[in-house]
Amino acid sequence: MSADASAAVPSGPDRRPPGWRAWALLAPMVLWLLLFVVVPAAILFVYSFCERDEVGGVIFTFTWENYQRVLDPVYLRIFLRSIGYAGLTTLLCVVLGYPVAYYIARAGEQRRNQLLLLVMVPFWTSFLIRTYAWITILKQEGLLNGLLQSLHLTVTPLSLLYTPTAVVIGLVYAYLPFMILPIYGSAEKLDHALVEAAYDLGAGPLRAFSSVIIPLTMPGIAAGTLLVFVPAIGMFAITDLMGGAKVPMIGNVIQNQFMQARDWPFGAALGVVFMLMFALTYVLLQRRGARLAA
Amino acid sequence: MKKCTLPTAFPFQAPRPRLPSGIVLLHRTLGFWTALVFGFLYLPIVILVVYSFNASRLNILWAGFTLDWYVRLLENGPIIRAAKNSLIIASISTLLAVILGTVGAWLLHRYRFRLARSIQTLVAIPMVMPEILMGISLLILFATIGFNLGFTTVIIGHVTFSFPFVLVAVQARLQGLDPALEEAALDLGATPLQSFWFVILPCLRPAIVAGALMAFTLSMDELIVTFFTRSAASTTLPIQVFGLARVGLNPMLNALSAVFILATVAFVLFSAYLRKLNHR
Amino acid sequence: MKLPISSLLALSVLLAPSALTAAGVVNLFGWSEYVPQAVLDGFTAETGIKVNFETFASNEELLSKLVAGGGAYDLVQPSDYAAEVMIRRQMLAPLDPAKLPNLKNIDPALMRLPHDPAGAYTVPYMTGTVGIVVNTGKVHEPIRGYRDIFQPKFQNRLVVLNDSRELVTWALYAQGLAANDVTPANLAKVRPLLAEWVKLVKVFDSDSPKTALLNGDVDIGVVWSGEAAILWTQDRKFQYVLPAEGAHQFVDVLAIPAKAKNRDEAHAFINYILRPEVSRLISAAFPYTNPNLAARKLLTPEELANPASYPKGGRLETFRDIGKTATVIDKLVTDLKSAL
Repeated sequence: MSADASAAVPSGPDRRPPGWRAWALLAPMVLWLLLFVVVPAAILFVYSFCERDEVGGVIFTFTWENYQRVLDPVYLRIFLRSIGYAGLTTLLCVVLGYPVAYYIARAGEQRRNQLLLLVMVPFWTSFLIRTYAWITILKQEGLLNGLLQSLHLTVTPLSLLYTPTAVVIGLVYAYLPFMILPIYGSAEKLDHALVEAAYDLGAGPLRAFSSVIIPLTMPGIAAGTLLVFVPAIGMFAITDLMGGAKVPMIGNVIQNQFMQARDWPFGAALGVVFMLMFALTYVLLQRRGARLAA
Repeated sequence: MKKCTLPTAFPFQAPRPRLPSGIVLLHRTLGFWTALVFGFLYLPIVILVVYSFNASRLNILWAGFTLDWYVRLLENGPIIRAAKNSLIIASISTLLAVILGTVGAWLLHRYRFRLARSIQTLVAIPMVMPEILMGISLLILFATIGFNLGFTTVIIGHVTFSFPFVLVAVQARLQGLDPALEEAALDLGATPLQSFWFVILPCLRPAIVAGALMAFTLSMDELIVTFFTRSAASTTLPIQVFGLARVGLNPMLNALSAVFILATVAFVLFSAYLRKLNHR
Repeated sequence: MKLPISSLLALSVLLAPSALTAAGVVNLFGWSEYVPQAVLDGFTAETGIKVNFETFASNEELLSKLVAGGGAYDLVQPSDYAAEVMIRRQMLAPLDPAKLPNLKNIDPALMRLPHDPAGAYTVPYMTGTVGIVVNTGKVHEPIRGYRDIFQPKFQNRLVVLNDSRELVTWALYAQGLAANDVTPANLAKVRPLLAEWVKLVKVFDSDSPKTALLNGDVDIGVVWSGEAAILWTQDRKFQYVLPAEGAHQFVDVLAIPAKAKNRDEAHAFINYILRPEVSRLISAAFPYTNPNLAARKLLTPEELANPASYPKGGRLETFRDIGKTATVIDKLVTDLKSAL
């Protein structure tokens, strides 16, 4: 095996064709994906062509009706809004999280893991409890308004809770660690000699940051974007609790089909379209990434 | 921790030159920013801990100091049991997620699998799959094959949505990892497995730690997939907490969070202290 | 009936020793924070039957878990309309009145409601209403019904349940229609009214609407009576009003799934709950309306005086399952909300 590996090295990319051992090692993951992702997704796919019966059960027929309903402009608008919120959240997470990840990566070896743990610890408490703490801060008679009033920055209390601002705060709070951690993963291996070389060549700190450090940690930013943006699209609990459930997100709509409306086929159709759109975007981005790398 | 880049141009480590003032300023700014972000992360936590000592049942006015909520917490059998279940489920599913995610990331990075792109996309699907869809479809699957709900089914659900996070984090680190590193090991006669174990894995450690933390956190806080895949015996903390908080916040829950956080922070500080002692 | 079961039991004991422990278990799937731990413990202490208690937080959770094939339950705790769905889908087993002598304690008016017209499948656990709660410290106008609160002057001062069916019901009432009269024509009629209402609301919350009221973020709510009852015990300024146009009454019941294995134990549990002194404990912990007339005699005057728990008069109706129209309602409310 090592022989054909060294033979493959001179010929361009470092990837090798897999032997049976590599396939055997990959098998558990592929099997897991088949059993617990593909099969459930297939069940949903079948459901998405069925009909809802009177009592909320599923009649196994074949209909396109559910997909026609997905194209309704109402759902399209909701979908776009969800993407908007997720995009803003991702952007803010990068801005807030990148310096933190970089700082942790540059810290002393032992401090690094401690700081990482400290980033994660707040999230070991229930989401609901954390959110209620934010409500305590943001509510009309809450701590933030109390502080602002005692500093005479405002006379009447501001309406902070149950606004889009509150939703964005909640979303950024929930997803920030999922941006910090992958960026840390790639900033940690950053060769500092390169940065110092940039300084030696006369680059200012900002210049070094933007033209050396950021490009080198791009894989981390990309991974973090994936881990934040994608789950944030489907998020609904934060918009419910901090936004007062006023504007529905795509996650709410899907949730409602399985709960309140008990229209599983339509819920499945929404889910299938949602996942397909994502998969398509993902494949296209990968292809572009591969072309750029080549 | 091994250095993950081969020494190339410089055969020896030059003594660290005095840093230019710009870089010092930059580092200070970064440190300040980090402190601010930590403040943001811990602000609600501080509030939550403070209110866990509040005598009032409502999180509204300060009505005096009490430890009553901690006493009630200790007396609440279902919560303690659920906390234990959560820790067990999170530990096992994190372990499995790390193994699946790390090995998967490495193999996908190292070998040209046919269908690699499809596998990669499949891996990302659980991250985008709304929890309710995953929960219900997994339950239909388990019910169809006659698999009884319990710890195993909850862990299966948790591994499914958390291992992609590990995989993505590890892949980000693998990108641009010096390929010469492995080649050197192979040239020196290591088998691919040995080079993975002794050379690659140590290099991946930071990303694995990050991935494991994410997987653990996701598992500790998951509600919907767990709801559909659990039995009465494998009820987790978030489900118990959601049930309690559904009827309004209970300071006992604050007390519970405070115990969790303080225990972890104490653990971090204590391990740092022990290290310091050892270094002396 | 008694003889074959006991002989069967004896047989199963002979055949499989583990059956003995299985006979001493009841798997309960019930609301979180609705069954006091003391009641569960008391039942186990007295009968030796262990209660495996699994919780849900909404009827929808219960239904979807059962429909997807989850869990082996002996006893479930749906609300009226969810029980109706389960009866129609043949998911419930008929009860054996001979094993429920305490059933006589239940208010007969609650035993023959449309969701279970013969009273064959369900036993009321607690009942309640959906009404208006007003912070009289901030709102001085008289409030009698939906029309009084959905007013421009109360914009951003309202919390309402985050439930499409509820919203539509209130609008139907406000137009003089009945709660279960959900036809496409009537929905078209209420649509413009609802479109106005939705704009006025600050918070939609079904789980804990009292939070926004207690926090002072809103002054008026349309909420579950149990929430209003808790608000009243906190502060008497929170007054409960049954809307004059009509109000939704819900009955949460106990029922035995068709697939239940431990039916005797399930019956024993229901009968235990129906005891006045046990039912009284439930009232003390969760101040909804107790359907157990014998238990009501044991309540304190203050509990009985709570206007949300025991409201006077009012035109009440329970929900019927509305079949596919649920889909139309969901679309309607989603549509109106996303226009905000």
